Amino acid sequence: MRRLSIARREALTTLWLAGPATLAMVLFIFLPVAIVALLSFTDYQFGATTLNWTGLENYQRLLGSTLGQRAITNTLLYVAIVIPASVALGLLVALGLHRMTGWAPGLAHALRAVYFLPVAATLVAMSVAWQMVLHPSLGVVNHVLAALGGEPRNWLSDRGLVLYTLAVIGIWQTVGYNMVLFLAGLVAIPPELYDAAEVDGAGGGWSRFWTVTWPMLGPTTLFVLVVTATNAFRVFETVATLTRGGPAFASDTLVYALYREGFVYFKAGYASAITMVFFAFLLILTFAQIRIVEKKVHYR
Amino acid sequence: MRRALFAAAFALVAGSATAQETEIRVHYAIPTIWADTQKALAEAFMAKHPEIKVTLDGPAEGYPEGVQRLLREAVAGTAPDVAYVGLNRWRILQDRGLTQPLDGFLGDDPAEQGYTPALLSLGSFKGQQHALATSASTLVMYVNPKLVEQAGGSMDDFPTTFDGVIELAARINALGDTIDGVWIDRHDWRYQSLLGAYGGRPMNEDETDITFDSEAGIEAARLYQRFAKEAGMKSYADSDARQALPAGTLGIMFESSSLQTRFEQGAGDAFELTVKPLPLGTDDEASVYFPTGGSGIVMLTRDEAKQKAAWEYIAFVTGPEGQKIIVENTGYAPANSIVVEDKEYLGAFYEKDPNALVAHTQIAQHAGPWYAFPGAEGVAVTDLIAAALVDVTEGADAEATIKDLAETLRVQLGMK
Repeated sequence: MRRLSIARREALTTLWLAGPATLAMVLFIFLPVAIVALLSFTDYQFGATTLNWTGLENYQRLLGSTLGQRAITNTLLYVAIVIPASVALGLLVALGLHRMTGWAPGLAHALRAVYFLPVAATLVAMSVAWQMVLHPSLGVVNHVLAALGGEPRNWLSDRGLVLYTLAVIGIWQTVGYNMVLFLAGLVAIPPELYDAAEVDGAGGGWSRFWTVTWPMLGPTTLFVLVVTATNAFRVFETVATLTRGGPAFASDTLVYALYREGFVYFKAGYASAITMVFFAFLLILTFAQIRIVEKKVHYR
Repeated sequence: MRRALFAAAFALVAGSATAQETEIRVHYAIPTIWADTQKALAEAFMAKHPEIKVTLDGPAEGYPEGVQRLLREAVAGTAPDVAYVGLNRWRILQDRGLTQPLDGFLGDDPAEQGYTPALLSLGSFKGQQHALATSASTLVMYVNPKLVEQAGGSMDDFPTTFDGVIELAARINALGDTIDGVWIDRHDWRYQSLLGAYGGRPMNEDETDITFDSEAGIEAARLYQRFAKEAGMKSYADSDARQALPAGTLGIMFESSSLQTRFEQGAGDAFELTVKPLPLGTDDEASVYFPTGGSGIVMLTRDEAKQKAAWEYIAFVTGPEGQKIIVENTGYAPANSIVVEDKEYLGAFYEKDPNALVAHTQIAQHAGPWYAFPGAEGVAVTDLIAAALVDVTEGADAEATIKDLAETLRVQLGMK
């Protein structure tokens, strides 16, 4: 038996290691995406035995109709609120807790668990709690507002308000996750850097943050941004359980519209088109973030 | 030759199973309401028909998920033999050629078996019977008598016109900041019910044109605005209102009669929740109809032997014995006239539960089909109706909005 060359053997090992996972990816991710892409050019109805090629009609309907446009703008608005707010809040909380570990480690641990709770809890169950808290006449929020002399609001059934309410719930849900990631990043910063900064004259809190902490958190921030963005774009559970896209489509988002069209209206072709648009948005956003932010990220 | 082969193959398959026993698979949804009832139905049926074995599929969470699953299973060739589906959803299955017509099984005189023309209309399309109703519900008023009395009203002299209801609701609403007078969901079925109360119909008979932009339809939509403007109706989501009523902060709620048990349990001893029939908006009582929600049963199997067994099952659950089990366990109204008319079946039940009698009488008098809009966009347009009702509630002109909506629907449904 002839022995294979070292290069050959290494190549085979690589293939053996990466092959199965790649095959699974092709079978279970790329192939379905390709099928969905094909379906998006048809008028296929779930359960139907025939389908017609309709070209770009589904895309024209999505981008041209008020309903489609509303789902897109709602999603973009939601993302535009949730990403910066939950990243900034996550960073703030992490910085505070990181400091607190110095003088009250027990309290810091307890608070960390509290902040992480919304991430660990299932969102659907939490939605029920939110529904009660935000109830127009029985909810705690309006009772407190009224006690403070404010005007009670219909948080989930006012068309002008509902999307912002959902965004706040979205932020509430992601802050804890972002905090944990930032905390890990903070712990990994070597203390010598702070000493060096002090020697170089950066002694104040702000200058320490700008010259050491923030640059060193670069890779973490990039990761947090990408993860938050994908999660925000995928907003579904809160919409489905709290508002069902209403009232009058005021909280309709891309993924909810996709569910509604595909699984309530059974318009699989149109739902496929929404999926492709959603996919494109996510791809563009992630690429842009990596392109722009990565230039400024220092890897050690 | 081929037939013989098939027959031989079939005999083999049948022979390897238990001899003489036919098995039928039954699909149902909403286990919170139906799980125990379905078990009771299957047991009672098998006790009467030992030659047929009923297997219940794992239930679907709700009717929409149920239809999804049936469609998936039909594509995969694993569909059940019989299925319970929402009365407004069997058309989705019929549209795809999955339901088997029941006319051949029903015989020449369905009325004699308790299937009145009104009840049959819930499951027929273009003269063919595709579904039989198994349980029914219509829109009723749930009233909190405590609040009515506080507002100076009387339960014995409860208003029977929409004007009277609005006036009473306004007085209840004035009782306090956290007290609401009236609430109705902005929703296709609720709107169709109000429309029917004014004697209108959503579509013409051959379903080629929208007809809710009539005077009746505009009046029905205007009710939403009057509820909001004159009686201070809040824009609650349905789950908000369903909490407010049992909590005792909502005076009058227009809701499905199927929620009666749930509301009564929620209210507990705090107040005696009372059901009132829907007011009529027209003097021409013959034109009034209330679209009926609930579930129907369809036959999906194409196998002749199974069809026979499936029909036995369908006849049992839609017959008086099955209906008695359904009514007593779910709070839904029956869909068989014999069980209502013959006191032997439910007389004791109604004596104990006068609220149910109100709802069931309303159904017996005015049951009509819950119109499903035809074609691929049929479900999608119901959300447009709901959205238009939000507009009207918030102050948009009822006539202009409803006329616009009708035009949009005509285009979307391909009627023009």
